[in-house]
Amino acid sequence: MARVGVYVCHCGLNIAGVVDVEKVAEYAKTLPGVVVTKHYTYMCSEPGQRMIQDDIKAKKLDRIVIATCSPRMHEETFRRAVAEAGLNPYLTEIVNLREQVSWAHIHEPGKATEKAKALVRMGVARARLLEPLEKHRVSVEKSVLVVGGGIAGIQASLDLANAGFPVYLVEKAPSIGGRMAQLDKTFPTLDCSACILTPKMVEVTKHPNITMLTNAEVTDVKGFVGNYEASILKKPRYVDEKRCVGCELCTKVCPVKVPDKFNENLAETRAISIYSAHAAPKIATINPDHCLRLKHDKGVCGKCQEACEAKAINFEQQPETIQVKVGGVVLAVGSEVFNALEMAELGYGRFKNVVSNIEFERISDASGPTGGKILSPKDGKTPRTIAFIQCVGSRDKRFHEYCCRVGCMVTLKQAILAREKVHENVRIYVCYIDMRAFGKGYDEFYRRARDMDIDFVAGLPSEIHATSDGSLYFDVYDKGTNKLLQIHADLVVLGTGLVPNKNLADVSALFHASRSADGFLLEAHPKLKPLESAMAGVFLAGACQGPKDIPDTVAQASGAAAKAMDLLSQGEIELEPLKAIVDEDLCSGCKICAPICPFLAIEMKTDIVDGKERPRAEVIEAVCQGCGLCSSTCPTGAIKIQQYSNKQVMTQVEAALAETCAEGGK
Amino acid sequence: MSLIDLMSMAKPNIETRDKILARLSGKELVNCFQCIKCTSGCTALKLLELKPHEIIKLVNLGFVDELPSSDIIWTCVTCLKCVQRCPQKASPYHVIIALRNLAVEKEAKVPEGYLKAVSQILETGQVETYQKIVTRKMETVDRECLKLPKINPPKQSFQAVFMKAMEEKKA
Repeated sequence: MARVGVYVCHCGLNIAGVVDVEKVAEYAKTLPGVVVTKHYTYMCSEPGQRMIQDDIKAKKLDRIVIATCSPRMHEETFRRAVAEAGLNPYLTEIVNLREQVSWAHIHEPGKATEKAKALVRMGVARARLLEPLEKHRVSVEKSVLVVGGGIAGIQASLDLANAGFPVYLVEKAPSIGGRMAQLDKTFPTLDCSACILTPKMVEVTKHPNITMLTNAEVTDVKGFVGNYEASILKKPRYVDEKRCVGCELCTKVCPVKVPDKFNENLAETRAISIYSAHAAPKIATINPDHCLRLKHDKGVCGKCQEACEAKAINFEQQPETIQVKVGGVVLAVGSEVFNALEMAELGYGRFKNVVSNIEFERISDASGPTGGKILSPKDGKTPRTIAFIQCVGSRDKRFHEYCCRVGCMVTLKQAILAREKVHENVRIYVCYIDMRAFGKGYDEFYRRARDMDIDFVAGLPSEIHATSDGSLYFDVYDKGTNKLLQIHADLVVLGTGLVPNKNLADVSALFHASRSADGFLLEAHPKLKPLESAMAGVFLAGACQGPKDIPDTVAQASGAAAKAMDLLSQGEIELEPLKAIVDEDLCSGCKICAPICPFLAIEMKTDIVDGKERPRAEVIEAVCQGCGLCSSTCPTGAIKIQQYSNKQVMTQVEAALAETCAEGGK
Repeated sequence: MSLIDLMSMAKPNIETRDKILARLSGKELVNCFQCIKCTSGCTALKLLELKPHEIIKLVNLGFVDELPSSDIIWTCVTCLKCVQRCPQKASPYHVIIALRNLAVEKEAKVPEGYLKAVSQILETGQVETYQKIVTRKMETVDRECLKLPKINPPKQSFQAVFMKAMEEKKA
């Protein structure tokens, strides 16, 4: 007969403020097998844990039920405490009285107490059937896959590589650098973005521990924490990476003009080109969608091949798949800028002089289409009035409900750049909802903008109009003066926010990293595990987890790198034993379970029994996450999840119904 | 001009705005982020047609034409609460004083009370005329009854110095 101890936690007033904890503890005494019941203010505190440990020793308890907060919060804490007292940690059962009782039924204390009693009854019934389990240790691969070569991926790769871990850095574009490479200056210090990024890019290309794979994508991921196997598709550049010296002779002779993606399509490049002025690696790439030779047949064009002195052009280059084994993954796939075409009222796309903030970056950048001069895209003239409109696509339930976190600071920076670059007489207006300048040195930056004669209008315009001569104007009601203002602007810059990448769903499916309601990748815990996904060994860095500015991105990337080092540095890791196991005698080899498993943890094996082939399912323990889908699908009941066997679950259900039936009979 | 106030069809007057900013020695005192604390605590708010935060914003945007000729700028009781408590060290008070000076310069209509005060100073050297008061015993008394020394009118030279200072300020 099991000897059960029941411990009811007050959680300050979080539980005790609603649930009558004394009554619950008193009730637990009447349950079969219960030897000790206690209630205490903070069970997770040192004296609370000691109370349990003392009882285990003194009263020879062999099952522990703790009625407290969610097991996500403190199950590990209590398991550790129980193990310290010499009991198998998996003989602990957590009953959730906070999230599922006191917080959920805050206005019904009487009923909440009854529910708490029922949950404790269920917990005790289940606890009596718990079995001791052992953790398994597996060795890990001491290398890391970093997906995305923006500033987040660069920082994570460098940190890991400097700590001695081999890194595979995969970047979709022909060059690393990401969004930061497109920016002119950075707030609030007005550091030149290229000046602080380029040295890091070069360091990545030269680092002996980093294998940089540009123009490449991860196509498949198998395995489990510590032992992932990734397939990386390296798309052909049609240029020999070892021979190309980046002289750009080919670009000069190429006859096909192509919109320049790096310059947000504000300029043109050629079908063979180097991605950007600061590209790393500085190697030309042929765009197969536009190249005449690749689109048609062998006789056509080929001018680049004639011009190339290094003999680097190779039209026969094929895609290549590279397999790598890694222990952990850092996802740093970044974000996109909101497409203002979706917000028709602002005239983006209809009026050439309405530009997005990322386009303004290119206009302002010395390596951009205007050579760093701020000119209107429509007529190439210097604007006399520039208007910035905030929160385009963000804080807007029609598009994205969240605040984009960077828009205000981006606009302040761009307004200051415009004031510095354009002649003194230019009028600059910023139409905003709230000006959010929250970071270190940010509010000082806002003040600096106000000092530079930039006018802030507290209100957003409803729509932008054009006069017959094509000039733009809009009406905006200013909360500060209670006036309806009309602003005529030669250039309107939209403060477009950051949004999840279009292909983030694919990334999420590939790495089993779930997404939050806003579409970004979801961290394992919003406060306590912000750098990890729910998938063990997959870490998150940068704007793919949520909109972020550069300082926050770099901080998170270093954090994610440290987390990966923490995971891999020991050379082996412990795995939770709550996994599926197959009863070989019961398994009929029907194969229903294998395709259902979302983690591909079930393999079909074939035994030879009495000269006949006999298929059976086998669980790869390290891959299994213990979700239980296979167990509930198995027609013969051959698969069970450790600690969640049919008997354990059914006993719990019976305990839930026990008293309800009795009351019904009254 | 790129900005119009559609409610009065007014346009910003950058020239006048710059004059005001010159009197304030730059933008420091109009560097406002519209927390509206000044208006929340304004002593004379109930008498004001325009609020302190609005006045600052109007100067920022350049809608300053109506300001010197309006009554608003004369209603401020110069309690300086707005200056003391502004989180950005801006000052609606200094803006209002600058506007008053501009009004005088433009020879706009100045409320009678202010003109009286000036002539009062010139004549007597005092901001207020001395008055008879009523004691607790309901007796009306003057300085003489209370045996206070007589106040002499200012010397001729005072007026000259006063006028000279006024002229210098104007220039």
